[in-house]
Amino acid sequence: MLSNILPKLKTSNYFKPFCTAITSEGNSKIEPRALQFPPKYQKPRQVWLENLDTIDERKLSLLDLHPDIFASNPRIDIIFQNVRWQSLYRFVSFAHTKVRSEVRGGGRKPWPQKGLGRARHGSIRSPLFKGGGVAHGPRSPTPHFYMLPFYTRILGLTSMLSVKLAQDDLHVVDNLEIPTDEPEFIQELVKTRNWGPSVLFINEVDIMPRNITIATDEIKHMNLMPVYGLNVYSMLKHDTLVLTKTAVDVIESKLLTHLHRNVFYNKLGKYKVDQV
Amino acid sequence: MGSNTVDKALTMLRSLPRVCLKNIRDNPGSKITQKRGRGQHGGDKHGAGNKGSGQRQNYMRLGYETGNRPFYLRFGFEPYYKGHHLRRQYPPVSLLQLQTMVDTNRVDVSKPIDLVTLCNTGLYRIFPDQHQFGINLTDEGADIFQAKVNIEVQWASELVIAAVERAGGVITTAYYDMHSLQCMINPQKFFERGIPIPRRMVPPTDAADYYADAAKRGYLADPEKVSEERLVLAQKYGYNLPVIENDPDYPMLTERKDPRQIFFGLNPGWVVNLKDKVILKPLEEELLQYYNS
Repeated sequence: MLSNILPKLKTSNYFKPFCTAITSEGNSKIEPRALQFPPKYQKPRQVWLENLDTIDERKLSLLDLHPDIFASNPRIDIIFQNVRWQSLYRFVSFAHTKVRSEVRGGGRKPWPQKGLGRARHGSIRSPLFKGGGVAHGPRSPTPHFYMLPFYTRILGLTSMLSVKLAQDDLHVVDNLEIPTDEPEFIQELVKTRNWGPSVLFINEVDIMPRNITIATDEIKHMNLMPVYGLNVYSMLKHDTLVLTKTAVDVIESKLLTHLHRNVFYNKLGKYKVDQV
Repeated sequence: MGSNTVDKALTMLRSLPRVCLKNIRDNPGSKITQKRGRGQHGGDKHGAGNKGSGQRQNYMRLGYETGNRPFYLRFGFEPYYKGHHLRRQYPPVSLLQLQTMVDTNRVDVSKPIDLVTLCNTGLYRIFPDQHQFGINLTDEGADIFQAKVNIEVQWASELVIAAVERAGGVITTAYYDMHSLQCMINPQKFFERGIPIPRRMVPPTDAADYYADAAKRGYLADPEKVSEERLVLAQKYGYNLPVIENDPDYPMLTERKDPRQIFFGLNPGWVVNLKDKVILKPLEEELLQYYNS
């Protein structure tokens, strides 16, 4: 019964706005994405595949996104922990104070122990004295390096991607090719499409297309990043996140690999500086 | 976390301001800030308490009972646990766990199963440096064990042997020395070291009897006697012994390692190069003699 109806439905224009790839040049249709580890209980999220070669947006097709990555629990606390870790692990505090032994002078007992009616003191550089050393002051260099647990880092990325998608700040484009290397084009494009002033473009490889590299070179709030550099801090710092379709594939496959590991005891241990 | 909650949270985010660096925070109370105490060591007594022998650490000597004959001198010395810390340990895997691994595709039963297979599942770990010498296959789930396997373990009880053989499988108990085990618990890591696969050592004298016993399915036992013992066990437990000679998987079921061999299909002395995907084999007569002895 259903099979009788289905071919008719396909030919009718009932489904047209949803499932056909609207390609003005008549080039090949974009294949729907096959999700790894198909979700059992959640529906895939959907996102428009857009183009980047015209200022006005053209929707090329609808893409399925894995809900474990793009619709996971938006843990703001985990996002915060990731941001804190990212700013602290390379932070070395150079604040420095001198202790009593490092302050110049103060070797002589200022006055005799007894007989003067004054408080007993052994050095004019003790922390009690004006100009004396500092007790428990900051000492340079103080490294603040620590490692966030592995799965907190993974959860940070999935939370952040989910937040970006939920707030309509995540866009997927077919590639980063733009027709000109003038900065005006990309600025106009971002303005027309209501992308936030700051945009982070994620490419699947670290060799970016020439035009967009030159165009965004002088614009400080539009940045290009390879997919291996994707991190929570940068996603938060930029208003809009623009991923290429291949970058989405890479992000999904990498994160899903870690979420579905069989052997993860080597990921859970204490971080060692010389670990591989 | 139900997906309903997640969906609600994500829907709510749509009407909230953009999440950015300014408006994120950790859960309240999740971080305890350390206070700097006063004094030389932060005003702390280092867990030793206040006053008395606890704080001054001037305890009586261990076992001294203020004049009584101490407990440790009251009775004669009876060394029940002599050498206990040196005994071989065999961390257990139950038949139920093995069956679950088979059912969830963690273990491929179309190939012989040994310690390497179980370690590679990530569900079983041994630490040879802590005197752990391999698998003890225990009898929990013996009555529901169904998988037809060719399994090699380091220790197995009679009931376990019966359960495996009733299901049409074969079981061998085999000894591996500490260095061989170190190669087996993480073969990839071992191959990356680029050293030749060592030869397996023979069992020590106190284990030799076990591994030469056909009733224990020892790897050094006479195969004729083993097949005889299979029949004896089937009669003892009252099941029909499946004839493995008629089994389509007969070649797999009869696959055994050489007593000097550690990995299936790899001989001692070979070097496995994972990077170039080649195996280097020794040619010199002296080396061949050493690894074959």
